[in-house]
Amino acid sequence: MLDQIVATREQLPVKESTDSRTIAACQQGDREALRVLFEEYKDRVYSIALYSLSGDEMAAGDATQQVFLKLMTRIGQFRGDAEFATWLYRLVVNTCHDEHRKQRRFVALADSFLQTSAGGESPRASYARKELAGRVQTAVAELKPKLRWPILLKYVEGLSYEEIAQVLNCSKGTVASRLNRAHKALGRRLSHLKNEI
Amino acid sequence: MFSKHITSLSSAYFHDELRPRESQRVAEHLMSCTPCRADFDDVKLGAKFAEQLQIVSAPDSVWAGVVDQLDYKSVRRMRLWFVKPLAIAAMILLVIAGGLVWLRSNSNTGGAPWNVARLGGSPRIDSQNIEDGSKLGVGQWLETDATSRAEIDVATIGNVEIDPNSRVRLLETSSSEHRLELARGRLSAHISAPPKLFFVNTPSGVAEDLGCAYTLEVDENGNSILHVTLGWVSLQLIDRESSVPAGAACAMKRGVGPGTPYFEDASELFRTALSKFDFADNQSDQTAALAALLSEARPRDVMTLWYLLMRVSAVDRASVYDRMTSLVTPPQDVTREGVLNLDRQMLERWKAKLSIRSDPPQKKVHSFLKKLWAETLGRIHGYQGKW
Repeated sequence: MLDQIVATREQLPVKESTDSRTIAACQQGDREALRVLFEEYKDRVYSIALYSLSGDEMAAGDATQQVFLKLMTRIGQFRGDAEFATWLYRLVVNTCHDEHRKQRRFVALADSFLQTSAGGESPRASYARKELAGRVQTAVAELKPKLRWPILLKYVEGLSYEEIAQVLNCSKGTVASRLNRAHKALGRRLSHLKNEI
Repeated sequence: MFSKHITSLSSAYFHDELRPRESQRVAEHLMSCTPCRADFDDVKLGAKFAEQLQIVSAPDSVWAGVVDQLDYKSVRRMRLWFVKPLAIAAMILLVIAGGLVWLRSNSNTGGAPWNVARLGGSPRIDSQNIEDGSKLGVGQWLETDATSRAEIDVATIGNVEIDPNSRVRLLETSSSEHRLELARGRLSAHISAPPKLFFVNTPSGVAEDLGCAYTLEVDENGNSILHVTLGWVSLQLIDRESSVPAGAACAMKRGVGPGTPYFEDASELFRTALSKFDFADNQSDQTAALAALLSEARPRDVMTLWYLLMRVSAVDRASVYDRMTSLVTPPQDVTREGVLNLDRQMLERWKAKLSIRSDPPQKKVHSFLKKLWAETLGRIHGYQGKW
């Protein structure tokens, strides 16, 4: 999976303003416009789906597909009074909830997340990085959903507290509180790896 | 500087989500507060781990899947464009049909058990004492002892009071028929409904409501007596039938059926003679009784004599006709010959002139329509008004 990594948070601008003309075209059923939106958001949508669905790549692929199908059928409801990204991530959260409910395929978390590889690194460094990434992803996947979602929206999607609050339909204070608890939980679970970061 | 600990602000401080002044105060607090600094270090460690989360590229197959699904949906939409309007139309029809069926079935509230109330003592339904909210279902017996009484709601069309020492069973309740069985005792019915909707079976015959109020009593031998106080009641057993108007009564005998109706203010001799005529076992008693009837009859008793025309021999029919015409003048187009030959149309015309119907039919229809409308309106809007 590591060879699929296309960018880190620093490399990928996480808040690109979505062209309102693209959205308008999409609302008219223009598939090319949908393709533009797909290319812009597909990796982040897929990543968040993957992390929220316990690393099940097939389920994450299905969820991503569903998100963009819903985007096409429901974009008429987007009125522009919210950020498009916020609206889209709400779709993502709801779709992942649905997918999680109907998910029957069981994937051993560690096995799935540890099946990553990296190019351009020494085998030892690659292994260490692979192992650390796998442990973090497993620890995140094991968080309660209400703690996991703020972490994913913050660290995968790069949303602000205000935006996370809008996506999760809660207050900014709640987001801060849940992130506090999530951080501490991750720190405790992964404390034995603190020398590797 | 904060006087309280700032552990709840650790993540927000780390992510620079605090206002500048707030952020500065947190920083100052962390410099001097060891517990908060330890907490912040925990948060920072967790955040460092979370930063290891990386974006993974979506497989190419996802877009292909999106396109396939969109194509499938659009083709399906084109092929089945008519399904949605058809489904909506079907749904509307279904709702209308359902509503009509519901209104029809509920206009007389068929099927559901009837509400029962205790009026005194300890009446029972299938050995269970009647309490608040008790109901009488099809097949269930309601029984009263010497001191108890009960009231039954006949769906929504009226009510029946059950007197002491009575035994009643609900035989059927539907939109087209409500039927009780009175095995013994007495009931008083008050029905406001179209004719031929409420029936009471007794061992000696069936009382068919024609929109009325009446009392029906069955003795230990299964013989019955009907007293009508409003409207009309028809008594039947096989091919024997008597229509009884308000103010009149009629006896029924087990194995024989209904006798001849009579007004309750008739003389005692008249009523005794009529009972003998209806139910005597030998011909001579009947002949004597007929003579007494003709002798005792008043103009008002012509109603009884009218029934006798069809229940006597041809020879006696002439005597009855003559006595009738001596008491009241028959309609002009009713002839002696026709009556003696039991001409149905003439008999009906004479019956009509005797004003045997208490309410004009149009009044009854009007009353029924008003009631039906009020009930329907009441169900829809909770309307309880009176007309």
